[in-house]
Amino acid sequence: MKKYTYIIFAVLLCWVSACKKLNTPPPSIVNDDDIFTNSAGIQAYMARMYAELPIEDFRYSPARGLNFFWIISPFSAITGEALSKDQNNAMQENLTFDSRPTTWSLCYTLIRDANYFAETLPKYASNFTPAQISAWLGEARFLRAATYFALVKRYGGVPIVDKVLQYPQQSIDELKIPRSSEEKVYDFISADLDYAYTNLGESNQVGRANKYVAAGFKSRAMLYAGSIAKYNSINLTDGSGNRLCGIPAAKAVTYFKAAYDAAVLLDGKFSLYKKTWAAGDKQAQYLNYVNLFFDDSSPENVFVRQYHYPESVHGYDAYNVPRQLMGANGYSSEVNPTLDFVEMFDGIPKNADGTIKTQTGGKYDLYTNTMDLFANAEPRLRATVILPGDVFKSVSIEIRRGIYTGSSAGGISPLLPAGSTAHYPTDNIVQSANASQTPYKLPNGTTMNPAGLGGYFTGDGTCAVSGFSIRKNLVPDKPTSEVLENRSDQTWIELRYAEVLLNRAEAAYELNAAGQNDKSYMQDAFTVINQIRDRAGATLLTSPADLSNVNVVRTERKKELGFENKTWWDMRRWRTADKEQNGAIYRTLMPFYSANDNKYFFDARLDERNSRYTFDVRWYYEQIPQGEIQKSQNLIQNPGY
Amino acid sequence: MKKIIYYIAVGMIGAFGSSCKKVDNYAAPDVTLKGAVVDASTGQGIQTEQGSGTRIKLLEISWNSNPTPFYISSFQDGTYNNTKLFAGKNVISAEGPFVPLVQVDNTGKTIVDKSQTVDVKDVTTVNFSVEPLLRVEWIGTPVYNTDGTITATFKFTRGTSDPNFQQDISDIYLFVNSNKYVGNNNYDNRYSTQISYNGSDGNAAVGTTITLITKGGPLPGKRDYFLRIGARTSYGLKYYNYTDVKTVAVP
Repeated sequence: MKKYTYIIFAVLLCWVSACKKLNTPPPSIVNDDDIFTNSAGIQAYMARMYAELPIEDFRYSPARGLNFFWIISPFSAITGEALSKDQNNAMQENLTFDSRPTTWSLCYTLIRDANYFAETLPKYASNFTPAQISAWLGEARFLRAATYFALVKRYGGVPIVDKVLQYPQQSIDELKIPRSSEEKVYDFISADLDYAYTNLGESNQVGRANKYVAAGFKSRAMLYAGSIAKYNSINLTDGSGNRLCGIPAAKAVTYFKAAYDAAVLLDGKFSLYKKTWAAGDKQAQYLNYVNLFFDDSSPENVFVRQYHYPESVHGYDAYNVPRQLMGANGYSSEVNPTLDFVEMFDGIPKNADGTIKTQTGGKYDLYTNTMDLFANAEPRLRATVILPGDVFKSVSIEIRRGIYTGSSAGGISPLLPAGSTAHYPTDNIVQSANASQTPYKLPNGTTMNPAGLGGYFTGDGTCAVSGFSIRKNLVPDKPTSEVLENRSDQTWIELRYAEVLLNRAEAAYELNAAGQNDKSYMQDAFTVINQIRDRAGATLLTSPADLSNVNVVRTERKKELGFENKTWWDMRRWRTADKEQNGAIYRTLMPFYSANDNKYFFDARLDERNSRYTFDVRWYYEQIPQGEIQKSQNLIQNPGY
Repeated sequence: MKKIIYYIAVGMIGAFGSSCKKVDNYAAPDVTLKGAVVDASTGQGIQTEQGSGTRIKLLEISWNSNPTPFYISSFQDGTYNNTKLFAGKNVISAEGPFVPLVQVDNTGKTIVDKSQTVDVKDVTTVNFSVEPLLRVEWIGTPVYNTDGTITATFKFTRGTSDPNFQQDISDIYLFVNSNKYVGNNNYDNRYSTQISYNGSDGNAAVGTTITLITKGGPLPGKRDYFLRIGARTSYGLKYYNYTDVKTVAVP
């Protein structure tokens, strides 16, 4: 009997002592308590959200989507800014690449993170000051707004999720949230950014939002909304009257006003970078414009994304450096600015129709050096594009199509008829198929390679296929040994004050065009455009009357923001992409060396590769991934897909 | 012991043999749906481009009131034909370079609905009579010139009197190709000529006789060229309306 007593006693003892804490959180998993009780935790949470913010930076290409290292099909090669050997036609963003998550799902993941943050932080409010709490809540709203902007500019109206969705507490049917109207999404973004502006502080860590970042983004988003209200002609309305694609034209003025007012908020807080700028000194203005992209203390940087080798890197230098300075990975010259882009700038000889002048009286003009043609070029152009023969990393970048060996008596006639995409005739021209060249003996006894060290090579696309190479954002002093993939870490400037000024000028122009005269909008647009032009070293507008049509403002934007992954979105919101790219072939400038003259001449021609660009009108609203519609059948697909 | 193994073996053979009798218990799709999208006033097919032009939209409502649409691309002469469909009840409409068959107003109310609800079975024919946005017509036949180019003469008119679908003329295009599939999705840009209009500039061209000449110098000889005129307005997805395809033999 006693035995049973012992057993019962032992059992009871075991039960009571065991199971004390079965409900212990696993120590290896980070919990809310670890994150939301100290500012280091908050910073870590924020760091991840910023890292996942869907911006088109050094790691974006339409072929492979957001945040991917391999950028050999550059964004600028679908907009007419550049030609590339790996991107030869117009396209919209690929839905999927290598089973990576779609932009749609990446955005909604981040929206959930932002909502979770905003809902959880107040529960831990006792750990922080009220000022900290409100600034962080503002920051979460900024991140959510920026993410919604990435969605709405792609897809039009999308489902608005403003709180953390719970499953299984909420039923599947409840979670199948339909799309809101495009207008409502822009209004939602506007409200979030207003909240962020009110709650965020004057300054923050570099790479994080402050109140002026929120205002700057608002000027951008509202300008998009206004443009769509004014220029869009696609309509998709659901059964409840929500206009999923398109915004009523009557709203244009409201949005342009919001864009203008938001841009003005940054007035006096930021300024154009002019640290080494000097009036009338083109060389100083050129160097100043180059430096603008590398000075961490630039007063022009509004919102940036920083990189740091080796933990957070990209490969911009490796992919885009001129062929002559190619790094060990064997990549180079992915971005080659088109002649169409170059011709927008001032300071180059031009024909009456605005195209570059390379001939006089049907004969080519001759130049001793290739840079002579660009002797008076706008400093901003030199800082954006490596012109043939210009100096980069202390070497002259040699871009030459070939050597012309024909007679030059009486001048050299055009090699091809105007508008031709044919290859050059080979009877009087020596050229090279690739970088291992056979030097050609000139009549004066010296030898010369047919093509320049940077190209053009007829059989090897890795060269300056347009006759130009990109300079903007390439580190000017990076040793070639470090020109490698995943070895670059220069800062991406997502929003700089120049864009805010251009937003302001465009909104002002549109407001004036819509008959608004509560402010002197044209005068303001004129002042702002001239600030940009003055810094760029371009020709100034003489009076507001020079803003005779919207293309003056738009071209200024294309020039200033070229190769910063903004132009494609602009062409979309202006609804001009399908006009600009309707079987378009872009132009190139081919420098030749005339053996008998010992001089250069230039042939402006259509892209010899005959790369044809046609923007499909459907792309103004991207296709919603089919998988998302299968998950949530209330989503209505955009027109035409 | 041996007996048990035999029993197991026999049992397994029996099990194997009786299972898997039916590889698939649902017949392969064998229903044909065909038809044409024709101009209501001329009775002719609406010319379009294959793949990115007219398409037929099927909503199968046999099982679900909110089905995922299924699309059939039409041929470039406006006819369509799909021989591998399942039988079922479908709401069928068409999208393309014509006044939409289903129109929704600002409040989401359907104000026009010319879609057809059809029991698709065996061989079903469904035709649609529509108003094209533009009606593009040849005037005479394209002429091969002595300088090696081709001259095409044509005119285009509004296909609908509804002002909601009379947007500005965007551009007109003489498409040239070396095979009979010719249109905005398939053309030789070395020879094809385009006129692009700004704003309302193109509206004056409606109804006038227009002549376009192939560009890029003499066409390479000893082959046939296929020509088609496309014209479009700024409406919606900016589909082109086309003429039919004309062949010009270049000696």
